[in-house]
Amino acid sequence: MLLLSVVRARAGDAAADWAGRAAATESVDAFCNAYTAAPKHVGRAPLALAESELSHLMAAAPDLRCDRWTVDDAARAVLLLSAAQRNDAKGAEAFVRLAIECYERGDAREQQSWLRAISLLPQPDRFTAVAVDACRTNIIPLFEAIACENPYPARHFPERQFNQLVLKALFNSIALARVVGLSTRVNPDLSRMARDYAAERRAAARPVPSDIAMAMIDDARQELTR
Amino acid sequence: MRIFDPHIHMTSRTTDDYEAMAAAGIVAIVEPAFWLGQPRTTVGSFVDYFNSLVGWERFRASQFGIRHFCTMGLNPKESNNPRLTDEVLALLPRFLDKDGVVAIGEIGFDDQTDAEERSFARQVELARDFNLPVLIHTPHRDKKQGTIRSIEVIRSVGFPEERVLIDHNNEETLPIVLASRCWAGHTIYPNTKMDEQRMAALVQKYGSDRIVVNSAADWGISDPLKVPKTIAVMRAHGVPDATIQKIVWDNPVAFFAQSGRLDLTDIDTCAAVDRSQKFETNSVLRGEQVGR
Ligand SMILES: [Zn+2]
Repeated sequence: MLLLSVVRARAGDAAADWAGRAAATESVDAFCNAYTAAPKHVGRAPLALAESELSHLMAAAPDLRCDRWTVDDAARAVLLLSAAQRNDAKGAEAFVRLAIECYERGDAREQQSWLRAISLLPQPDRFTAVAVDACRTNIIPLFEAIACENPYPARHFPERQFNQLVLKALFNSIALARVVGLSTRVNPDLSRMARDYAAERRAAARPVPSDIAMAMIDDARQELTR
Repeated sequence: MRIFDPHIHMTSRTTDDYEAMAAAGIVAIVEPAFWLGQPRTTVGSFVDYFNSLVGWERFRASQFGIRHFCTMGLNPKESNNPRLTDEVLALLPRFLDKDGVVAIGEIGFDDQTDAEERSFARQVELARDFNLPVLIHTPHRDKKQGTIRSIEVIRSVGFPEERVLIDHNNEETLPIVLASRCWAGHTIYPNTKMDEQRMAALVQKYGSDRIVVNSAADWGISDPLKVPKTIAVMRAHGVPDATIQKIVWDNPVAFFAQSGRLDLTDIDTCAAVDRSQKFETNSVLRGEQVGR
């Protein structure tokens, strides 16, 4: 597995072997505890992928962006991907239950790791409800883990939930350039919401985010500049 | 001037806040049930939270001479958890007849999902059954649309608009609310929502009928003294004292009195309180401070 070799190259053989063993457990408790303990074994350094690693990863997951990943994020992704391979063979339900349990038991940092990796899981649309719910957080790094540098929302969110995500990014001064695939998902309703938000900001004598036009379809953009 | 803060989450505040509020003239508050930042996953968390709103928190306020009322409800955010929604809505009637519960709220929209709308409408029906007013939270995102939809929900249930307070208004939503018969709340926040200057301008433009201001202070960046601070700014803008008093006292009193449970008897004589009074076995004073 590509990510396992990435972890091995940074944290060493002992840590990579730990991840392999931890992923093989049949116990939900042991799996979730290992997910929690990953940084203890592999550290929390930035992943900083090398050119060759990046090109391999891009081949497997073209719009994934790992710039902000740390080594423990990668180790946790290894745990989930290994469990998916093993359990999906026995029945998909077992993996879905395990993955959701792992998310629900996680603290904010564990949930960030989980959200960063979900686009890599088999049949990722099985986790849309969890990802949509994650957007309701007020913990900004947690929101960013799903909303930014992550291809999942543009691929799997229904329109209404995608629009809410974009508005929440604007509201929290998060650059819209970080929302992967935004240009493929702009729609008339999102345009209207962005336009209303601009009007509300102007009425309050507050600055309008300079990148708000990225949330608009072309007609609305022209209106904005008129 | 007596001050009423009709929306403040004291559970998240300290006794220093209570002391400063009392010193600034705040004598009555409404604490709406809301979410706690961390999502709750079981109904038991709500049992304890609702009990604290009618129990420990009311007592804590009373020790600073502040009359504490509350609203009960399931907030829109957590209404997106279907199992929890069913359980909490089944739990609510247990609390709705308790003393000091002066409305159902804050309910309304967050993401404007179908699940939120169902929970919202069911709680408006509960308000009708229990003869309580309703406090509505309007969303941060897509606010104008959320305000329009909120009024539509009230109308679809056939709930009397004069018993509805729609909160967190801004320049864009206030005219919409005033065009209905609902009351309009304004949350004065340090960075978002509304500020004191803009509020004074709104009062100069729209007057004081059905208009209310609050601090909505909670666990985020917020200020429990925003109502007295807004009074000062309105005065500086030349808003007459009679108008100000209507906004910070008469209006919230008139609105929540519709519950029949807004007991303000002896409000002027209660300020001097005996802080050694105990709630069950606890006091907000630790043992060593009793002589203070
Ligand atoms: Zn509130």
